[in-house]
Amino acid sequence: MRKIFSFLLLAALLTGTGFAQAAEEWGIDGEKKARFEAKVVDVLCELTGDCPANCGDGKRQLGLLKDDGTLILPVKNFDIFAGANNDLIGFCQKRIVADGLLINNPKMPLFALQFKKLAPDGKWSRADQFGKDWSKANGGKKGSQWFKNDATIKKIISENGVYGIPGLKAKE
Amino acid sequence: MDGAARKGSMMKKILTLALALAFALSAVPDAQAAKSTRVSVTGEIVDTWCYVTEIMYALGTAHHQCAVWCAAGGIPVSVKDKAGNVYVVLKVEGDGTNVANPRILNIQTHKVTVDGDLYERDGVKYLIVTKVANDQGIVNLTHDEYGIQPFGK
Ligand SMILES: [Cu+2]
Repeated sequence: MRKIFSFLLLAALLTGTGFAQAAEEWGIDGEKKARFEAKVVDVLCELTGDCPANCGDGKRQLGLLKDDGTLILPVKNFDIFAGANNDLIGFCQKRIVADGLLINNPKMPLFALQFKKLAPDGKWSRADQFGKDWSKANGGKKGSQWFKNDATIKKIISENGVYGIPGLKAKE
Repeated sequence: MDGAARKGSMMKKILTLALALAFALSAVPDAQAAKSTRVSVTGEIVDTWCYVTEIMYALGTAHHQCAVWCAAGGIPVSVKDKAGNVYVVLKVEGDGTNVANPRILNIQTHKVTVDGDLYERDGVKYLIVTKVANDQGIVNLTHDEYGIQPFGK
């Protein structure tokens, strides 16, 4: 019995269908681990019928449309201060299996994408594409510190200050 | 009526019926194209993730820098009104992009009044801003009380 069990465990690990992709808890109020199949859609297109090619090429928020018609809004991935757009754009109009946290908040529901794969049998990958893409676009600088080194952010903060109001200082 | 004429009128009837049916079907609203309502919303531009989850204090000057980080990172940006409603901004005045959109990045934390079309879908309020009617800039001064969120610098 034990042998069978350890064999199953090994098989699960080797095929990558085991524990590695299980959603992890982040300790956020109302969070619940969730795994579901859905089609990746351009939210603006889905709502208004304004549909540019390739779901807006990464410049538009992407949604996850389930078979029952429910539209889920992913707002976060694994990278610090980043969304899930870079993880999903490669799957525009395709069905994926999404794994992560559904956050049932009274203000509005949110989804944090942690892993994704092409449905039904694609290879799982971690939802950390933003950091990878940023790193590639910034000469290999560490993606984990992207927000401190990003040129767009630096420009905005240097012009207006951390509080957003030029010249405003904290009380001594 | 002879046989041929009867057949002809029958064909006509079927054709009319088919046309009527086709018209009726096309008149049924497409399940995809949701209805919107015209709204005017006044509130603060916020980072949707930090504000909704409350993982940190996420309003005003104290959180401005983080709100810029998150918008640049592609997290949806919203308008939060006085009543606490969160409107996810999908479009601003004819600009068809909404991920790290430069226009939206540059009005983070501002208090604005916007006119737009509201689409409600599965618990989320999506807003297509047709006009930024008023932009008061940043008026919510929270840094003296909350410092700089999240790292204190
Ligand atoms: Cu924040």
